[in-house]
Amino acid sequence: MEKSRKLVVLSVLLICFALLAGGAEAAFPQPQGFVNDFANVLDRRSSSELQVLAEQLRENQGIELAVVTVTSTAPMDPKEYTTALFNEWGIGGPEDSGLLMLLAVEERAIEVEPGYGLEGTLPDGLIGAVIDQEGMHHFKEGDYGAGLSAMAKAYASILAGEKYEIAKEKKEDNGWLIAFIIFILIVLLLRRNRFYGPRGTGGIGGGSGSGRPIIFTGPTFGGGSRPSVGRGGGFGGFGGGRSGGGGAGRRF
Amino acid sequence: MKKGLIVLIVVVAVIVLIAGAAISRYNQLVELEQNVEGRWAQVENQLQRRADLIPNLVETVKGYASHEQQVFSDVADARSRLLAARTPEDQMAANASLDSALGRLLAISEAYPELKADTSFIRLQDELAGTENRIATERMRFNEAVQAWNTTIKRFPMNIFAMVFGKEAKSFFEASPRAQEVPQVSF
Repeated sequence: MEKSRKLVVLSVLLICFALLAGGAEAAFPQPQGFVNDFANVLDRRSSSELQVLAEQLRENQGIELAVVTVTSTAPMDPKEYTTALFNEWGIGGPEDSGLLMLLAVEERAIEVEPGYGLEGTLPDGLIGAVIDQEGMHHFKEGDYGAGLSAMAKAYASILAGEKYEIAKEKKEDNGWLIAFIIFILIVLLLRRNRFYGPRGTGGIGGGSGSGRPIIFTGPTFGGGSRPSVGRGGGFGGFGGGRSGGGGAGRRF
Repeated sequence: MKKGLIVLIVVVAVIVLIAGAAISRYNQLVELEQNVEGRWAQVENQLQRRADLIPNLVETVKGYASHEQQVFSDVADARSRLLAARTPEDQMAANASLDSALGRLLAISEAYPELKADTSFIRLQDELAGTENRIATERMRFNEAVQAWNTTIKRFPMNIFAMVFGKEAKSFFEASPRAQEVPQVSF
Protein backbone atom coordinates (compact mmCIF):
# COMPACT_ATOMS: atom_id res chain seq x y z
CA MET A 1 0.00 0.00 0.00
CA GLU A 2 2.65 2.44 1.15
CA LYS A 3 4.94 1.46 -1.70
CA SER A 4 2.38 1.94 -4.47
CA ARG A 5 1.53 5.36 -3.10
CA LYS A 6 5.17 6.38 -3.30
CA LEU A 7 5.36 5.11 -6.84
CA VAL A 8 2.33 7.16 -7.87
CA VAL A 9 3.82 10.32 -6.36
CA LEU A 10 7.14 9.64 -8.05
CA SER A 11 5.63 9.03 -11.46
CA VAL A 12 3.48 12.16 -11.22
CA LEU A 13 6.60 14.16 -10.39
CA LEU A 14 8.47 12.61 -13.30
CA ILE A 15 5.64 13.42 -15.71
CA CYS A 16 5.63 17.00 -14.47
CA PHE A 17 9.37 17.28 -15.08
CA ALA A 18 9.06 15.74 -18.52
CA LEU A 19 6.28 18.18 -19.44
CA LEU A 20 8.30 21.14 -18.18
CA ALA A 21 11.41 20.08 -20.05
CA GLY A 22 9.44 19.31 -23.20
CA GLY A 23 7.72 22.69 -23.08
CA ALA A 24 10.98 24.56 -22.73
CA GLU A 25 12.53 22.74 -25.64
CA ALA A 26 9.56 23.29 -27.91
CA ALA A 27 9.74 27.05 -27.34
CA PHE A 28 13.37 27.42 -28.42
CA PRO A 29 15.34 24.78 -30.28
CA GLN A 30 19.01 24.26 -29.51
CA PRO A 31 21.44 25.89 -31.95
CA GLN A 32 23.05 23.36 -34.27
CA GLY A 33 25.60 25.66 -35.81
CA PHE A 34 25.60 29.00 -37.56
CA VAL A 35 23.02 27.74 -40.02
CA ASN A 36 19.91 26.24 -38.46
CA ASP A 37 17.49 25.05 -41.09
CA PHE A 38 14.72 23.87 -38.79
CA ALA A 39 12.07 24.33 -41.47
CA ASN A 40 14.12 22.35 -43.95
CA VAL A 41 13.82 24.88 -46.78
CA LEU A 42 17.44 25.64 -47.66
CA ASP A 43 19.18 24.06 -50.63
CA ARG A 44 22.61 22.53 -50.12
CA ARG A 45 24.51 25.19 -52.00
CA SER A 46 23.00 28.13 -50.13
CA SER A 47 23.43 26.56 -46.75
CA SER A 48 27.09 25.81 -47.37
CA GLU A 49 27.61 29.35 -48.68
CA LEU A 50 26.00 30.69 -45.52
CA GLN A 51 28.11 28.37 -43.40
CA VAL A 52 31.33 29.58 -45.05
CA LEU A 53 30.31 33.23 -44.71
CA ALA A 54 29.53 32.77 -41.02
CA GLU A 55 32.84 31.02 -40.38
CA GLN A 56 34.75 33.79 -42.15
CA LEU A 57 32.91 36.47 -40.22
CA ARG A 58 33.74 34.86 -36.90
CA GLU A 59 37.36 34.26 -37.85
CA ASN A 60 38.10 37.66 -39.35
CA GLN A 61 35.99 40.01 -37.28
CA GLY A 62 34.69 38.06 -34.32
CA ILE A 63 31.15 38.58 -35.56
CA GLU A 64 28.67 35.73 -35.12
CA LEU A 65 26.08 35.33 -37.83
CA ALA A 66 23.19 32.99 -37.15
CA VAL A 67 20.78 31.95 -39.88
CA VAL A 68 17.57 30.30 -38.73
CA THR A 69 14.55 29.02 -40.59
CA VAL A 70 11.47 27.89 -38.68
CA THR A 71 8.10 26.64 -39.87
CA SER A 72 6.27 28.96 -37.51
CA THR A 73 7.00 31.33 -34.64
CA ALA A 74 3.56 30.89 -33.05
CA PRO A 75 2.42 31.86 -30.48
CA MET A 76 4.87 34.76 -30.67
CA ASP A 77 5.00 37.15 -33.59
CA PRO A 78 8.14 36.82 -35.72
CA LYS A 79 9.82 39.93 -34.29
CA GLU A 80 9.27 38.93 -30.66
CA TYR A 81 10.52 35.45 -31.44
CA THR A 82 13.64 36.83 -33.12
CA THR A 83 14.54 39.04 -30.17
CA ALA A 84 13.85 36.27 -27.67
CA LEU A 85 15.84 33.69 -29.64
CA PHE A 86 18.76 36.08 -30.08
CA ASN A 87 19.08 36.58 -26.34
CA GLU A 88 18.31 32.94 -25.51
CA TRP A 89 21.14 31.72 -27.73
CA GLY A 90 23.42 34.65 -26.91
CA ILE A 91 24.56 35.32 -30.45
CA GLY A 92 27.75 37.38 -30.67
CA GLY A 93 30.81 37.62 -28.46
CA PRO A 94 31.38 39.82 -25.41
CA GLU A 95 31.02 42.92 -27.60
CA ASP A 96 27.48 41.80 -28.51
CA SER A 97 28.54 41.56 -32.12
CA GLY A 98 25.94 39.13 -33.38
CA LEU A 99 23.54 39.14 -36.30
CA LEU A 100 20.47 36.93 -36.53
CA MET A 101 18.59 36.31 -39.76
CA LEU A 102 15.34 34.49 -39.15
CA LEU A 103 12.89 33.26 -41.74
CA ALA A 104 9.45 32.01 -40.70
CA VAL A 105 7.79 30.00 -43.45
CA GLU A 106 4.17 30.05 -42.30
CA GLU A 107 4.23 33.73 -41.36
CA ARG A 108 6.06 34.46 -44.63
CA ALA A 109 8.35 36.70 -42.59
CA ILE A 110 12.00 37.62 -42.69
CA GLU A 111 13.48 39.31 -39.62
CA VAL A 112 17.05 40.53 -39.24
CA GLU A 113 18.27 41.66 -35.86
CA PRO A 114 21.70 43.06 -34.92
CA GLY A 115 23.28 42.72 -31.48
CA TYR A 116 23.94 45.88 -29.47
CA GLY A 117 27.50 45.99 -30.81
CA LEU A 118 26.51 46.07 -34.49
CA GLU A 119 23.79 48.72 -34.29
CA GLY A 120 26.25 51.39 -35.43
CA THR A 121 27.55 49.64 -38.56
CA LEU A 122 24.20 48.10 -39.43
CA PRO A 123 21.47 50.70 -38.89
CA ASP A 124 17.91 49.46 -39.29
CA GLY A 125 17.37 51.39 -42.52
CA LEU A 126 20.31 49.65 -44.13
CA ILE A 127 19.19 46.26 -42.85
CA GLY A 128 15.78 46.88 -44.41
CA ALA A 129 17.27 48.08 -47.70
CA VAL A 130 19.31 44.88 -48.01
CA ILE A 131 16.18 42.80 -47.44
CA ASP A 132 14.36 44.79 -50.15
CA GLN A 133 17.14 44.68 -52.70
CA GLU A 134 18.72 41.27 -52.12
CA GLY A 135 16.17 39.06 -50.47
CA MET A 136 12.61 39.94 -51.37
CA HIS A 137 12.54 38.87 -55.01
CA HIS A 138 13.98 35.47 -54.06
CA PHE A 139 11.57 35.03 -51.17
CA LYS A 140 8.58 35.87 -53.33
CA GLU A 141 9.63 33.09 -55.68
CA GLY A 142 10.06 30.74 -52.73
CA ASP A 143 13.83 30.48 -53.15
CA TYR A 144 14.63 31.04 -49.48
CA GLY A 145 18.21 29.80 -49.67
CA ALA A 146 19.24 32.16 -52.45
CA GLY A 147 17.59 35.11 -50.71
CA LEU A 148 19.24 34.46 -47.35
CA SER A 149 22.59 33.84 -49.01
CA ALA A 150 22.45 37.06 -51.04
CA MET A 151 21.46 39.02 -47.95
CA ALA A 152 24.23 37.48 -45.86
CA LYS A 153 26.81 38.41 -48.50
CA ALA A 154 25.60 42.00 -48.49
CA TYR A 155 25.73 42.20 -44.69
CA ALA A 156 29.20 40.67 -44.66
CA SER A 157 30.48 43.26 -47.14
CA ILE A 158 28.93 46.10 -45.12
CA LEU A 159 30.51 44.72 -41.95
CA ALA A 160 33.84 44.55 -43.78
CA GLY A 161 33.56 48.29 -44.32
CA GLU A 162 32.34 48.41 -47.91
CA LYS A 163 29.73 50.91 -48.93
CA TYR A 164 26.35 49.54 -49.88
CA GLU A 165 24.45 51.31 -52.64
CA ILE A 166 20.80 51.85 -51.92
CA ALA A 167 18.68 52.26 -55.03
CA LYS A 168 16.97 55.64 -55.25
CA GLU A 169 13.56 54.13 -55.68
CA LYS A 170 12.08 50.72 -55.27
CA LYS A 171 13.45 48.65 -58.11
CA GLU A 172 10.49 46.48 -58.96
CA ASP A 173 8.07 49.41 -59.25
CA ASN A 174 10.13 51.10 -61.93
CA GLY A 175 11.67 48.19 -63.73
CA TRP A 176 8.42 47.46 -65.53
CA LEU A 177 7.79 51.08 -66.32
CA ILE A 178 11.26 51.58 -67.79
CA ALA A 179 11.01 48.38 -69.80
CA PHE A 180 7.62 49.47 -71.09
CA ILE A 181 8.87 52.91 -72.13
CA ILE A 182 11.85 51.39 -73.91
CA PHE A 183 9.55 48.95 -75.66
CA ILE A 184 7.33 51.81 -76.85
CA LEU A 185 10.38 53.77 -78.02
CA ILE A 186 11.67 50.80 -79.96
CA VAL A 187 8.29 50.27 -81.58
CA LEU A 188 8.06 53.96 -82.49
CA LEU A 189 11.57 53.99 -83.92
CA LEU A 190 10.99 50.82 -85.88
CA ARG A 191 7.82 52.18 -87.35
CA ARG A 192 9.27 55.54 -88.23
CA ASN A 193 12.59 54.43 -89.65
CA ARG A 194 12.11 52.16 -92.60
CA PHE A 195 15.83 51.59 -93.14
CA TYR A 196 16.70 50.51 -89.66
CA GLY A 197 19.60 48.16 -89.18
CA PRO A 198 20.43 45.80 -86.35
CA ARG A 199 22.88 48.38 -84.95
CA GLY A 200 20.25 50.93 -84.08
CA THR A 201 18.19 48.64 -81.94
CA GLY A 202 21.31 47.26 -80.33
CA GLY A 203 22.23 50.72 -79.17
CA ILE A 204 18.94 51.25 -77.45
CA GLY A 205 19.05 47.90 -75.74
CA GLY A 206 22.50 48.62 -74.36
CA GLY A 207 21.38 51.89 -72.90
CA SER A 208 18.71 50.30 -70.76
CA GLY A 209 21.24 48.32 -68.77
CA SER A 210 22.98 51.37 -67.38
CA GLY A 211 19.85 52.55 -65.60
CA ARG A 212 20.19 49.94 -62.91
CA PRO A 213 22.43 50.79 -59.98
CA ILE A 214 25.37 48.62 -59.17
CA ILE A 215 24.24 46.90 -56.06
CA PHE A 216 26.81 44.62 -54.62
CA THR A 217 30.06 42.93 -55.40
CA GLY A 218 30.66 40.48 -52.64
CA PRO A 219 33.26 37.84 -51.97
CA THR A 220 33.00 34.92 -54.30
CA PHE A 221 33.79 31.42 -53.26
CA GLY A 222 36.26 29.20 -55.02
CA GLY A 223 34.58 26.18 -56.48
CA GLY A 224 37.36 23.80 -55.49
CA SER A 225 37.11 23.48 -51.76
CA ARG A 226 33.91 22.02 -50.45
CA PRO A 227 33.00 23.30 -47.02
CA SER A 228 31.80 20.88 -44.40
CA VAL A 229 28.31 21.72 -43.27
CA GLY A 230 28.38 22.06 -39.52
CA ARG A 231 28.47 18.37 -38.66
CA GLY A 232 32.11 17.63 -37.98
CA GLY A 233 33.39 18.45 -34.52
CA GLY A 234 30.10 19.76 -33.18
CA PHE A 235 29.01 23.29 -32.51
CA GLY A 236 30.56 25.05 -29.55
CA GLY A 237 27.67 27.47 -29.08
CA PHE A 238 27.47 31.20 -29.36
CA GLY A 239 29.41 33.75 -27.35
CA GLY A 240 26.70 35.18 -25.11
CA GLY A 241 25.87 38.37 -27.04
CA ARG A 242 22.71 40.37 -26.42
CA SER A 243 20.38 42.41 -28.59
CA GLY A 244 17.86 45.11 -27.88
CA GLY A 245 15.16 44.34 -30.43
CA GLY A 246 16.38 46.51 -33.32
CA GLY A 247 16.71 45.56 -36.96
CA ALA A 248 14.16 45.30 -39.71
CA GLY A 249 11.74 42.78 -41.11
CA ARG A 250 9.43 42.18 -44.06
CA ARG A 251 6.51 40.00 -45.04
CA PHE A 252 6.75 38.42 -48.44
CA MET B 1 29.31 39.41 37.67
CA LYS B 2 29.64 36.46 35.30
CA LYS B 3 25.92 36.54 34.60
CA GLY B 4 26.11 40.17 33.56
CA LEU B 5 28.92 39.43 31.13
CA ILE B 6 26.92 36.67 29.45
CA VAL B 7 23.91 38.95 29.08
CA LEU B 8 26.14 41.62 27.58
CA ILE B 9 27.63 39.17 25.08
CA VAL B 10 24.20 37.94 24.07
CA VAL B 11 22.92 41.49 23.61
CA VAL B 12 25.95 42.44 21.53
CA ALA B 13 25.60 39.28 19.42
CA VAL B 14 21.92 39.99 18.75
CA ILE B 15 22.71 43.58 17.77
CA VAL B 16 25.49 42.42 15.45
CA LEU B 17 23.19 39.86 13.85
CA ILE B 18 20.39 42.38 13.29
CA ALA B 19 22.82 44.96 11.96
CA GLY B 20 24.37 42.40 9.60
CA ALA B 21 20.96 41.37 8.32
CA ALA B 22 19.97 45.00 7.91
CA ILE B 23 23.11 45.81 5.94
CA SER B 24 22.72 42.90 3.56
CA ARG B 25 19.00 43.65 3.06
CA TYR B 26 19.81 47.26 2.45
CA ASN B 27 22.44 46.37 -0.14
CA GLN B 28 19.99 44.08 -1.86
CA LEU B 29 17.48 46.91 -2.01
CA VAL B 30 20.08 49.26 -3.45
CA GLU B 31 21.03 46.73 -6.07
CA LEU B 32 17.44 46.16 -7.16
CA GLU B 33 16.71 49.86 -7.26
CA GLN B 34 19.83 50.50 -9.34
CA ASN B 35 18.66 47.81 -11.72
CA VAL B 36 15.30 49.52 -12.17
CA GLU B 37 16.99 52.86 -12.76
CA GLY B 38 19.46 51.39 -15.23
CA ARG B 39 16.63 49.78 -17.15
CA TRP B 40 14.75 53.03 -17.23
CA ALA B 41 17.82 54.78 -18.63
CA GLN B 42 17.78 52.27 -21.48
CA VAL B 43 14.12 53.02 -22.17
CA GLU B 44 14.95 56.74 -22.14
CA ASN B 45 17.76 56.18 -24.65
CA GLN B 46 15.37 54.60 -27.07
CA LEU B 47 12.70 57.26 -26.55
CA GLN B 48 15.36 59.87 -27.27
CA ARG B 49 16.47 57.95 -30.32
CA ARG B 50 12.96 57.96 -31.67
CA ALA B 51 12.58 61.67 -30.97
CA ASP B 52 15.77 62.25 -32.98
CA LEU B 53 14.40 60.38 -35.97
CA ILE B 54 11.16 62.31 -36.15
CA PRO B 55 12.35 65.61 -37.72
CA ASN B 56 13.85 63.73 -40.68
CA LEU B 57 10.73 61.68 -41.10
CA VAL B 58 8.50 64.77 -41.03
CA GLU B 59 10.71 66.52 -43.60
CA THR B 60 10.51 63.55 -45.95
CA VAL B 61 6.74 63.33 -45.67
CA LYS B 62 6.45 67.12 -46.18
CA GLY B 63 8.24 66.74 -49.50
CA TYR B 64 5.26 64.79 -50.82
CA ALA B 65 2.35 65.91 -48.69
CA SER B 66 3.07 69.51 -47.72
CA HIS B 67 -0.53 70.44 -46.99
CA GLU B 68 -1.05 67.98 -44.11
CA GLN B 69 -0.12 70.73 -41.64
CA GLN B 70 -2.30 69.51 -38.78
CA VAL B 71 -0.50 66.19 -38.46
CA PHE B 72 2.94 67.80 -38.70
CA SER B 73 2.20 70.20 -35.86
CA ASP B 74 0.66 67.41 -33.75
CA VAL B 75 3.82 65.37 -34.13
CA ALA B 76 6.03 68.35 -33.35
CA ASP B 77 3.99 69.18 -30.23
CA ALA B 78 4.07 65.61 -28.95
CA ARG B 79 7.79 65.39 -29.61
CA SER B 80 8.62 68.56 -27.72
CA ARG B 81 6.42 67.43 -24.83
CA LEU B 82 8.39 64.17 -24.67
CA LEU B 83 11.70 66.02 -24.69
CA ALA B 84 10.50 68.39 -21.96
CA ALA B 85 9.20 65.61 -19.69
CA ARG B 86 11.41 64.94 -16.70
CA THR B 87 9.79 62.25 -14.54
CA PRO B 88 9.20 58.73 -15.83
CA GLU B 89 5.42 59.22 -15.44
CA ASP B 90 5.45 62.35 -17.63
CA GLN B 91 7.63 60.63 -20.17
CA MET B 92 5.28 57.68 -20.36
CA ALA B 93 2.29 59.97 -20.92
CA ALA B 94 4.08 62.07 -23.54
CA ASN B 95 5.23 58.92 -25.28
CA ALA B 96 1.66 57.68 -25.58
CA SER B 97 0.55 60.88 -27.33
CA LEU B 98 3.58 60.76 -29.61
CA ASP B 99 2.61 57.20 -30.53
CA SER B 100 -0.80 58.27 -31.76
CA ALA B 101 0.50 61.35 -33.64
CA LEU B 102 3.12 59.20 -35.37
CA GLY B 103 0.48 56.66 -36.28
CA ARG B 104 -1.44 59.39 -38.09
CA LEU B 105 1.71 60.65 -39.81
CA LEU B 106 2.52 57.19 -41.15
CA ALA B 107 -1.09 56.68 -42.22
CA ILE B 108 -0.71 59.68 -44.57
CA SER B 109 1.75 57.71 -46.66
CA GLU B 110 -1.05 55.38 -47.75
CA ALA B 111 -2.49 58.21 -49.85
CA TYR B 112 0.81 59.05 -51.58
CA PRO B 113 2.24 56.22 -53.67
CA GLU B 114 5.39 58.19 -54.56
CA LEU B 115 6.10 58.67 -50.86
CA LYS B 116 5.62 54.98 -50.20
CA ALA B 117 8.15 54.14 -52.93
CA ASP B 118 10.75 56.67 -51.78
CA THR B 119 13.72 54.72 -50.39
CA SER B 120 14.68 57.35 -47.85
CA PHE B 121 11.14 57.15 -46.50
CA ILE B 122 11.39 53.36 -46.38
CA ARG B 123 14.72 53.62 -44.56
CA LEU B 124 13.27 56.03 -42.03
CA GLN B 125 10.30 53.75 -41.50
CA ASP B 126 12.68 50.87 -40.85
CA GLU B 127 14.61 52.97 -38.36
CA LEU B 128 11.40 53.99 -36.68
CA ALA B 129 10.03 50.44 -36.55
CA GLY B 130 13.38 49.19 -35.23
CA THR B 131 13.36 51.85 -32.54
CA GLU B 132 9.82 50.98 -31.57
CA ASN B 133 10.81 47.35 -31.21
CA ARG B 134 13.75 48.45 -29.09
CA ILE B 135 11.42 50.51 -26.91
CA ALA B 136 9.19 47.45 -26.54
CA THR B 137 12.15 45.27 -25.57
CA GLU B 138 13.58 47.75 -23.09
CA ARG B 139 10.13 48.38 -21.68
CA MET B 140 9.71 44.66 -21.07
CA ARG B 141 13.08 44.49 -19.32
CA PHE B 142 12.23 47.59 -17.29
CA ASN B 143 8.93 46.07 -16.23
CA GLU B 144 10.69 42.88 -15.18
CA ALA B 145 13.05 44.93 -13.02
CA VAL B 146 10.10 46.80 -11.51
CA GLN B 147 8.36 43.50 -10.87
CA ALA B 148 11.42 42.16 -9.03
CA TRP B 149 11.61 45.35 -7.00
CA ASN B 150 7.95 45.44 -6.10
CA THR B 151 7.71 41.81 -5.03
CA THR B 152 10.89 42.11 -2.96
CA ILE B 153 9.80 45.15 -0.97
CA LYS B 154 6.32 43.76 -0.32
CA ARG B 155 7.57 40.48 1.18
CA PHE B 156 8.21 39.93 4.86
CA PRO B 157 10.64 40.85 6.37
CA MET B 158 11.84 43.09 3.57
CA ASN B 159 8.67 45.19 3.82
CA ILE B 160 9.82 46.38 7.28
CA PHE B 161 13.23 47.39 5.98
CA ALA B 162 11.67 49.03 2.95
CA MET B 163 9.38 51.02 5.21
CA VAL B 164 12.27 52.07 7.46
CA PHE B 165 14.34 53.21 4.48
CA GLY B 166 11.34 54.87 2.85
CA LYS B 167 11.31 52.68 -0.28
CA GLU B 168 8.08 52.48 -2.23
CA ALA B 169 6.63 50.38 -5.02
CA LYS B 170 7.37 51.66 -8.54
CA SER B 171 4.92 51.87 -11.41
CA PHE B 172 5.15 49.84 -14.59
CA PHE B 173 5.58 51.30 -18.06
CA GLU B 174 2.30 50.28 -19.65
CA ALA B 175 1.97 49.78 -23.38
CA SER B 176 0.50 52.78 -25.16
CA PRO B 177 -3.31 53.00 -25.46
CA ARG B 178 -3.07 52.35 -29.21
CA ALA B 179 -1.42 49.01 -28.59
CA GLN B 180 -4.05 48.11 -26.01
CA GLU B 181 -6.89 48.59 -28.46
CA VAL B 182 -6.40 45.10 -29.77
CA PRO B 183 -9.88 43.56 -29.98
CA GLN B 184 -10.56 41.15 -27.17
CA VAL B 185 -11.78 37.69 -27.94
CA SER B 186 -14.57 36.67 -25.61
CA PHE B 187 -15.92 33.19 -25.12
